[in-house]
Amino acid sequence: MDRSREIFVCLLSAMALLVFSVVFLLAEDETVIGSYMVGGAVLLWIMVRMGVYEKVITAVSHHERLWASLVFIAALILLFFFRDNHYCLFLVGTIFCYTIAVLGLNVQLGYTGVINFSAASFFGVGGYTAGMLLNQGLVPPFAAFILGGVMAGLVGCVLLLPVLRTSGHYSALVTMAFALLFNVFLEVNESFGGPQGIAVPSFSLFGVDFGSDVEWGSITGSFYLRYDLFILVFLAIVFIMVRRVERSWMGLAMDAVRLDETASACFGINIVRWKVTAFTMGNVLMGMAGALYAMMLAYISPANFTFSDSLLFLSILLLGGMGNCWGVLLATSIMVVLPEKLQFIQEYRYLLYSLLVLLMIVYRPMGLLPRRTRVVTSEDVA
Amino acid sequence: MSLLSCTGLTMRFGGLAALNKLDVHVEEGDVIGLVGPNGSGKTTFFNVLTGIYTPSEGRIVFDGQDITAKTPQEICRAGIARTFQRSRLCLELTVFDNVMMGNSKNLNLGFWHNVIRRKAFFQECRDDEARIRLMLKALNPTLADKIRKPVGELSMIDRRRVEICRALTGRPRLLLLDEPSAGMTQDETRQLMDELVAMEFEGNRPSIILIEHEMSVIKRISTRCIVLNFGRKLCEGSYDEVTSNPVVQQAYLGTEVV
Amino acid sequence: MDGVLLAQFIMNGLMLGMMYALVAVGFTLFFGVLDIIVFSHGDTVMVGAFAGLGTYVWLQSVYPDIDTVWVCLWVVLASLLAVCLLGVVLARGLIMRLRSSPPLNTLLATMMLGTVLREAIRLFYPDGSNPQPFPKLLPDTSWVLGGVTVRLDSVLLFVGGLLLIGGIHLLINKTKLGMAVRAVAQDSEAAQLMGVNFSFIVLLTFALGSGVAAFAGLMNGIYYNEINFSMGVLLGAIGFSAAVIGGLGNIYGAIIGGFVFAFLQTIGAVALPFSSAYKDVFAFAVVIVLMAIRPTGFLAERSSQRV
Repeated sequence: MDRSREIFVCLLSAMALLVFSVVFLLAEDETVIGSYMVGGAVLLWIMVRMGVYEKVITAVSHHERLWASLVFIAALILLFFFRDNHYCLFLVGTIFCYTIAVLGLNVQLGYTGVINFSAASFFGVGGYTAGMLLNQGLVPPFAAFILGGVMAGLVGCVLLLPVLRTSGHYSALVTMAFALLFNVFLEVNESFGGPQGIAVPSFSLFGVDFGSDVEWGSITGSFYLRYDLFILVFLAIVFIMVRRVERSWMGLAMDAVRLDETASACFGINIVRWKVTAFTMGNVLMGMAGALYAMMLAYISPANFTFSDSLLFLSILLLGGMGNCWGVLLATSIMVVLPEKLQFIQEYRYLLYSLLVLLMIVYRPMGLLPRRTRVVTSEDVA
Repeated sequence: MSLLSCTGLTMRFGGLAALNKLDVHVEEGDVIGLVGPNGSGKTTFFNVLTGIYTPSEGRIVFDGQDITAKTPQEICRAGIARTFQRSRLCLELTVFDNVMMGNSKNLNLGFWHNVIRRKAFFQECRDDEARIRLMLKALNPTLADKIRKPVGELSMIDRRRVEICRALTGRPRLLLLDEPSAGMTQDETRQLMDELVAMEFEGNRPSIILIEHEMSVIKRISTRCIVLNFGRKLCEGSYDEVTSNPVVQQAYLGTEVV
Repeated sequence: MDGVLLAQFIMNGLMLGMMYALVAVGFTLFFGVLDIIVFSHGDTVMVGAFAGLGTYVWLQSVYPDIDTVWVCLWVVLASLLAVCLLGVVLARGLIMRLRSSPPLNTLLATMMLGTVLREAIRLFYPDGSNPQPFPKLLPDTSWVLGGVTVRLDSVLLFVGGLLLIGGIHLLINKTKLGMAVRAVAQDSEAAQLMGVNFSFIVLLTFALGSGVAAFAGLMNGIYYNEINFSMGVLLGAIGFSAAVIGGLGNIYGAIIGGFVFAFLQTIGAVALPFSSAYKDVFAFAVVIVLMAIRPTGFLAERSSQRV
């Protein structure tokens, strides 16, 4: 395909995606939603069978910078469209926060192969740090957001030694033990609100309180709009950064560590350095995402950060395709929106998640969007 | 002074001495054939040299520097590179990535350079790609076109070539080749060795220690042979000296009463 | 601390330890034959407890005046059979397929399997999302010996656990089948070449491990008088920790590990300056520290890496 046609395909698919999401978020009736989903799936299947899907993916991957801008603009349009819909804006904000956290997990697990079964705990560390600091009135909200990440990174340092020394299921045990420990700790510790949790004051930036509804001239909207815009910008920065890390010498070193530690060591790659970098970077991202999520949610409790939630994060990563940032975005959207839209499966959410991931592992272990072979020298890099 | 001198090198696993008071000296420009029956400690010797194992006793001096208890990373920096008996390439990465992995000691791995200001990084990338293309071409002209292919799609002989390039790209002073002919046909082996002999990479030719079962290969390219058995050095000398040595024949063929 | 309290705590710890040991044995057996950690094992324990409860409720409704001894027997039998069957089906249908997948996928798959079991009980057992009272199947007798209360049901359960462990010991070490299990654990390929039916041995091991887990589940129910759908998460994590502390693949190590973990919890509950609610926090923290000191457990796993 020539360049202009590829660009046209990018534009078209971004628009299709936007329309699909808007209609999906607008739909209320469950039969409509159900048939819409089935229709979408059938269409996708036909596209895959006819080879169109692969062509679209190739076109998009050739113009990633353009595609990323298009998706960003589409997200802005989506937010503007739903500007006074609390519920949809909250859903979108949740997707953004989870995506940031799973991108952190992607750096750890997808790039470097550091197993972390306590992602939700680090997400929670960020949230609780922000909440506690703001409740005490110690720091301004922006600092609380940053410190949430810092704190998650520091807590991660406690786990560094065992995580570095162990591998495989032993690493899993260490992080799993931490996830359980963290949850029990939150439940029994009275100063963190115990099982009831704590209220978290709203975010504010440059004196603008994010807790009040939006009134910009003639435009009025839900207070979630501010959160979503801020988180979207942060997500964009994180996304670009994580993507750049992947396509750099850092990413090469991380891949090498994941794929073959012995060979990496023999070629002078410092394994400890890269595992520490990836683990800390991931935890900081999870912590910052957690802080934003807590402020948006205004109320957090240990039930938000259980071991099952850690598993949810991991499932998202696996569903999207280990190591693929776009896959993370796609899978998070699916995993967050589906159960909300299909209220009748709300109750069966975890059951369906786990069945879905199980089937994925057995029949399509590479995920929905398998990671593409990295070509560092490619010119069009976001 | 020798490039590499190992004295009294011993490696014990429990009660078993995989290497037993081994003395090996390598001079600048040597191509040493390391031979011996299976389990005689050849690969263990490489693993000790590259720091994967720390020797139980003995000293390794490389280029005037004691590297006995150093980590693999430090030894790599000192200028020793190796290939592996069972190919240890990262199959999902491209040829370029695999070869660059061998050069990682020279790369700027800073966050600023890699993620924030990418201009210098891209320049570096282009330069490196051009350099590696040349190098692949020097080994085998067809390989250069596969530079952006994942290694998993390559044939066995191409993988061996990539592995050799990966070891060479960091410009080592000593190259350890662990059975490069394993898994290849005789024709392929001969071809690979032709290429290796013919290759003049950026004018610097490392000294080589080569583990090989294929004696014709040893005969062709080695300047000196060392025979190991049960972790000890049986004998050392030119190919003809070694192959005519009765002790060596005994080690390979078993005790024969004539 | 006075002696009576100490004795009480020791008894308590022994009960917990037995429970954990029985769970850990399953982890270690499965790892032995398949080299896979089956994280859903904790939830198998939970299913065992619910199978027992379900049988009990059914018996009560159909034969209201049946003798307690018979009830007890039927409950144990039904639970053991149901869970053995479950173990075999899961092993055949899923876990044996995962043998060639990368370790992370098997970890996740078995964790997801655990979630499936957990959610299935929560959603499909009547009122499954709330804790269920567990019937007192065993006589309520207790004696007071020198100020220490000894409950008969605890003694019976403990003895039952001991017998089970003894039985496994005999099966593994003294029978031909046990020899086959050990052979598969040591080198499955060589064992197959020697004519051992690999799938059969794996399924047998899963039946055995799951059966033991079912007993642990019943024990848990009787001991705490209550069960809930999520009890398997913690039990699984504890059982796995115990198996790792003892060295994966080593049955006796797993048993010791179970008692060590119970000991840690007891210490966390009584001997430390903070509230006893932190006992799990303490025990897991110790496990993390232990892993930092000995990354592959205390009786090291056999490992081979060729370079």
